[in-house]
Amino acid sequence: MAHVVLKDLIKTYGSFKAVNEVSLTVNDGEFVALVGPSGCGKTTTLNLIAGLIPITSGDILIGDRVVNELDPKDRDIAMVFQNYALYPQKSVYMNLAFPLQMRKLPKDEIDKKVREAARVLDMTQLLERKPRELSGGQQQRVALGRALVRDPAVFLMDEPLSNLDAKLRVQMRSEIKRFHQDLKATIVYVTHDQLEAVTMADRMAVMNGGYLQQYDSPAQVFAHPANMFVASFVGSPAMSLIPLQASTANGGIVLTSAEGWSLALSQPNARKVQRATSGKVVLGARHSTIKLHKSAVAGAIPAKAYTVEPTGDVTFVQAFLSGAIVNISVPPTIAVAPDEQIWLEFDQERIHLFDGETEMALQAN
Amino acid sequence: MSTIAETAPRDQTRRRTRFDGWRWGGRIFLVFMLLYTALPMIWMLITSIKSGFAAMQFPPQWWPDEPTLASYQKLLDPQNSVGQDFLRFFWNSLYVSTATTILSVIVAVPAAYAFSRFTFPGRNFLFFAVLLRNMFPAVIFLVPLFILMRAIGLVNTHGSLILTYLTFGLPLAIWLLKGFYDNIPVQLEQAARIDGATRFQAFILIVMPLSAPGIIATAIYSFIGAWNEYIYAYTFLSKNEQLTLPVGIQRFFSENTTDFPGLMAASFMMSVPVVVLFLVLQRYFVRALTEGAVKH
Repeated sequence: MAHVVLKDLIKTYGSFKAVNEVSLTVNDGEFVALVGPSGCGKTTTLNLIAGLIPITSGDILIGDRVVNELDPKDRDIAMVFQNYALYPQKSVYMNLAFPLQMRKLPKDEIDKKVREAARVLDMTQLLERKPRELSGGQQQRVALGRALVRDPAVFLMDEPLSNLDAKLRVQMRSEIKRFHQDLKATIVYVTHDQLEAVTMADRMAVMNGGYLQQYDSPAQVFAHPANMFVASFVGSPAMSLIPLQASTANGGIVLTSAEGWSLALSQPNARKVQRATSGKVVLGARHSTIKLHKSAVAGAIPAKAYTVEPTGDVTFVQAFLSGAIVNISVPPTIAVAPDEQIWLEFDQERIHLFDGETEMALQAN
Repeated sequence: MSTIAETAPRDQTRRRTRFDGWRWGGRIFLVFMLLYTALPMIWMLITSIKSGFAAMQFPPQWWPDEPTLASYQKLLDPQNSVGQDFLRFFWNSLYVSTATTILSVIVAVPAAYAFSRFTFPGRNFLFFAVLLRNMFPAVIFLVPLFILMRAIGLVNTHGSLILTYLTFGLPLAIWLLKGFYDNIPVQLEQAARIDGATRFQAFILIVMPLSAPGIIATAIYSFIGAWNEYIYAYTFLSKNEQLTLPVGIQRFFSENTTDFPGLMAASFMMSVPVVVLFLVLQRYFVRALTEGAVKH
């Protein structure tokens, strides 16, 4: 296993910048998820690491080797593709043996390794089948087997679970996580599903528009999103982002809505807002940190329930504040009807504040 | 519940026995097409085993009174001058068609792969430019090509025909093969390259076997085109020992009186290589090799 370093990685297609000055380090044995909406540059970044497309500028290191100009075959990597890319004319056995044959290993050693990989992935009885005779989950497992049979420095995975049905996806998710733990493998994993990234990765790199937005552990990304994009992308339902206007009143800072209500900020929050480039401030709050009241409470803001979605153990209520959708979760014991008048109380300790101009998170210091 | 269970099968039987006009129309049409294509072949075969006299009789003998293989014996006898000519022509045709086929595959495979996988300046222009030739009937190029062939000294050589057939066959061959390469997921090559293959190895080991049906279809197309071509062979070649079958057959059977059984026997033998080619290779046409390769 080895670490991977990306230094100021840039990939342009004509005037379009697909990957923009991305720098990050994947430590030896670390599971890193590249996550973002489609077109954010995450798959391009992975293909650059693999060497399937040439880089425009920057450096890629695998281990301590600069691999910028190396062919994919010389980078000591293995890749799992979204569509599995199993060789259709070859049996499962030959699919697993192919990377070893390419490396000119002796026949008996190939046989040993293939059977070992098949045993680990529990598909010894499938070895003679052709890929088309396998189910989606089995094909996925063969693809994984073809990657691990060679014991590469780095595993690259391009949305390996997105073609599976929901149940199988959850199962394979834990299998891949287990696989990572057992092998202490360095894995770069591309996904558009923030839940996969949060549940599986040691660190997640959130990308948007070709730029790396934030690179940190899922817990840190969740608790301290660097900007409004990350805040709205990570977490489900998404964090509510309410655009407000900051002003000074009675020595403190108050956020005022165009709808007329206002919110007096606590001291630490006021210090954050003082650092904003303008009076425009966006208030962010996760569904679980907003308290819903059915009668007026001091400091709570009046709103109207728009939709109510009971999911069993929690009920999600949607409301509009200052034109923004606000998600609130309440225990199923609290019955809320659509169009019912409600009052929302924000937890000043747990709200997020963003600069309305730069969209960056406002920090206290 | 019980009423539904009872009526359901009755419904089905009624549907099965109902006269379906479209289906029967289709069947009648297919029978007609079968007769249309098969009857001339059958008549060719029957005539080829008649004697010269029986072939000219009217009303015609539907089945010859004295079937004979004399025409075949004559054509295949290397001692006989007719047989010598026929075998010579057959060999010429085989040579020209095979050379055309091999060259056409050698050129079309990399060309189609490049059009399918690479982006380069003028790609679309070039791709449609190869089709330009197909906008005009082949005869239009007869005189210009003849002048060209004379200028480069290829008149009265088989090379002139091979070059001409390549010109006509390649555009469609490239189009056909590009379609096949487009359908082979690029991830298969990428996987192979990551698994340790060079780009060329990935092409040879993974892509080529998958495009085999396309290559075979292209090859058959080129072969048949070259095998049957008449007008260019008639124009470019004048020496008797160089003629190909379509021209040759016409040459030596219509001098005084036409020997119909001989002509039909020669025509039948001319169709044999094409039919054999089809029978041997047809399974490649239908084999859906890429099925199960990737999930769409």
